[in-house]
Amino acid sequence: MASNDPASDVATYAASVRAALSDLPSDQAAVLLEDLEDHLREIAAEAGGPLTDRLGPPEQYAKELRNAYGATQVDPRRQDPALRDLQLARAWLTGSEWYRQVRAFLPELRPAWWVLRGYLAALILTAAFSQGYGIGPIPNPTTKRGLAEILAAGVAIWLSVRIGRRSRNLPQGARFLAISTNVVIAFVAVAVLGNMHTFTYSELIGTATPEQQPFTAAFAAGPVTNIYPYSRDGKPLTDVLLFDQDGRPIGVQQSDAQTNYPIGADGKPITNAYPLAQRHLNGDPVVAPRVAFPPWPTPSASTAATPTPSPSPTR
Amino acid sequence: MSQAEVDTTQLLKGVLDLAVLAVLADADSYGYDVVRRLRENGLDHVGDASVYGTLRRLYQAGALNSYVVPSEEGPHRKYYGLNNRGRKTLDQSAQTWASLSKALNHLLNGRSNGHGK
Repeated sequence: MASNDPASDVATYAASVRAALSDLPSDQAAVLLEDLEDHLREIAAEAGGPLTDRLGPPEQYAKELRNAYGATQVDPRRQDPALRDLQLARAWLTGSEWYRQVRAFLPELRPAWWVLRGYLAALILTAAFSQGYGIGPIPNPTTKRGLAEILAAGVAIWLSVRIGRRSRNLPQGARFLAISTNVVIAFVAVAVLGNMHTFTYSELIGTATPEQQPFTAAFAAGPVTNIYPYSRDGKPLTDVLLFDQDGRPIGVQQSDAQTNYPIGADGKPITNAYPLAQRHLNGDPVVAPRVAFPPWPTPSASTAATPTPSPSPTR
Repeated sequence: MSQAEVDTTQLLKGVLDLAVLAVLADADSYGYDVVRRLRENGLDHVGDASVYGTLRRLYQAGALNSYVVPSEEGPHRKYYGLNNRGRKTLDQSAQTWASLSKALNHLLNGRSNGHGK
């Protein structure tokens, strides 16, 4: 056991004393042992060396404490056997080496929890204010909304760390409130994360509105910003209206170029007539790309005017 | 622990409340410092746990007030001080102690006088 490390020595010693007094009613034990650790730290700091050298074995210390405090020794035979077993198990657990190690290590994770707590709080707020909007665990930085979410997470983390650093010595009531809040944040965040669907490429690049499905979803190679339809014989077509399987107009990803949609007789822009008339930021019109036309099947097959290849007629 | 130490511990037990109250009447103090001051005043055998337990009991009984003093290096210190009830308890206990010690001294002197005869 590393008694040359004062912090773990104090933790071990205090845990043993608490274990030896585990039969005290919890309210009595709470009052008696409230600042045992601080007191032991003081002794460790001023006396040096292992606490057992200075104070004797923890069981002896606990006995002296019990007598001085005036607490009565509970007769083990008069106790409920199940309760006694429970207390023995707890004493064994809190006195064990790995429990001591975990307990000594947990406080080092505090700052990490503060950061995580801030992020989770921001996540919960985001989820609360976005019904029906598919949010991901990581905000999308290419949208205004995503940027706002990142900013909110940053502020929340800053606040959480600030709160964490200032809550070293909370009074009993405030401490209970703080622990409850932490537990609630953790639970709600688990629920939010569980309902979140995993990120897909279309979510990353798409500007999804319910009527206008991003045509880009199918094109993982990059965003589609315009569509150039051609006839079978390679003539460019204009004002081709595209709809999806549900009859919704198909839109494309916004690019840097400016799009001039034709305005319909009803005053509304027609957004799915391709190719879109687009101009670069410097005013030059966006020109159609060079395209390669596929070689069609032989003319005899094409005159059959059916897309399915027909078997050769029988004689 | 020798026989003499055991006796001292037993005797101390009864008057530790009074000793702790007397130390705190001097100046507010924290657990480890109370132990040190008791020992400086000749109560060498006073146990750390006894003092700590006594402080907690007196505090619980409403004889002391307490406040935490943050420290730059080392742990925060919980200081204890007498409140009105503590001062009253100290006065009463001091009187009891005075009459008790007078009686005991008388008894002991009588015994030594008897021996001397």
